[in-house]
Amino acid sequence: MTTAPTITTARLTLRAFEIADFPVFSAFYASDRSKYCGGPADPESSWRMLACEIGHWQLRGYGRWAVTLSDTGELIGNVGLWNPEGWPEPEIGWDIYEGHEGKGYATEAAIAARTYAYDVLGWDTVVSLIMPPNEHSKNVARKMGAKFERMFNHVRFGEEEIWRHLSAADLMDGGMEAYA
Amino acid sequence: MSQFSTTKIPELRTKRLVLRGPEPQDYPDFKATFSSYRSRFMGGPLNQYEAWMLYAAEIGHWEIRGYGMWMIHDAETDETYGMAGGWKPAGWPEAEIAWIIWPRVAGRGIALEAADCVRRYFYNERGWETAVSYLDPKNLDSIRLAERLGCKKDHEAPSVDGNDVVYRHPTPAQCRSSQIADAIAQEIGFYQNPNFKPEGWALD
Repeated sequence: MTTAPTITTARLTLRAFEIADFPVFSAFYASDRSKYCGGPADPESSWRMLACEIGHWQLRGYGRWAVTLSDTGELIGNVGLWNPEGWPEPEIGWDIYEGHEGKGYATEAAIAARTYAYDVLGWDTVVSLIMPPNEHSKNVARKMGAKFERMFNHVRFGEEEIWRHLSAADLMDGGMEAYA
Repeated sequence: MSQFSTTKIPELRTKRLVLRGPEPQDYPDFKATFSSYRSRFMGGPLNQYEAWMLYAAEIGHWEIRGYGMWMIHDAETDETYGMAGGWKPAGWPEAEIAWIIWPRVAGRGIALEAADCVRRYFYNERGWETAVSYLDPKNLDSIRLAERLGCKKDHEAPSVDGNDVVYRHPTPAQCRSSQIADAIAQEIGFYQNPNFKPEGWALD
């Protein structure tokens, strides 16, 4: 069974979720800010979501990380590789909590997740599923060089946009410098 | 890739069964039952997304609580029969002993044997002093099983959401000092006997 390895970027530490994260995690899922990622949800549902974050790593061998500020240890979001059953293909997902948006944290953590997917897991390609009205998320995708590909209809979340990230091959050809 | 061994899920054995942690390859069996009418008393039927998320949560529960639901396997063939174990997600007033048996293997005493096994583990190895089972009042198979395990309806204890009834398991001392353990062992013994044919209503 696999749990999330710890990864550091310039400002962030991505680590495995633990139950101590529950108050901040559930506060995010109780807020309107979670409306594009399965919320808002009551504490009972958020607890199961947190258990899912842990179980996802063990079922798939990858998953999402608890994103923390390296300086303070503060938990600011959930970012990583997400592929529950019924997903069209594995995606990079990013949720940044209230008060931490607009600082490039989503992009920084999502690039780390993309690097992990390509360099550690050996994937060739990865997408992100984005709810049509979620312009902030599309901006993150654009900054990373992703492009809208097609629509996807999910059994629970309805219509979502699939954005295709730069491939492992694109990045090998020098795309990394252009977009990182 | 960094790989860590997480919470070590102990393997439990009975005469007919092996109980192990839920593993990725067991998921199709879980999904088959949780997308069927059989799961109507456990929050189902679920679509494939919900079923997978619940299965992932079952695994995460082990990490968070240090206990959880085991996958029940046949001791010889390794085929899966259902799940049994301890369950206490957010919102549960107390730790529950829970079980679900795949519909095709009902009537063989497997739930009884597995639930008895996990209860003895929690009482003897983990120091639990009490346990409940939250049952849907319409789930007669599970109510019958709770009663065969020596449980009594607890009218005082809070339920999960008011739509369930609380069955209180006998305490560790009651299990040791009464005929409950003997009666359970005798019934399991009947089911373990290949010549035994239960009569009447199929029991889990």
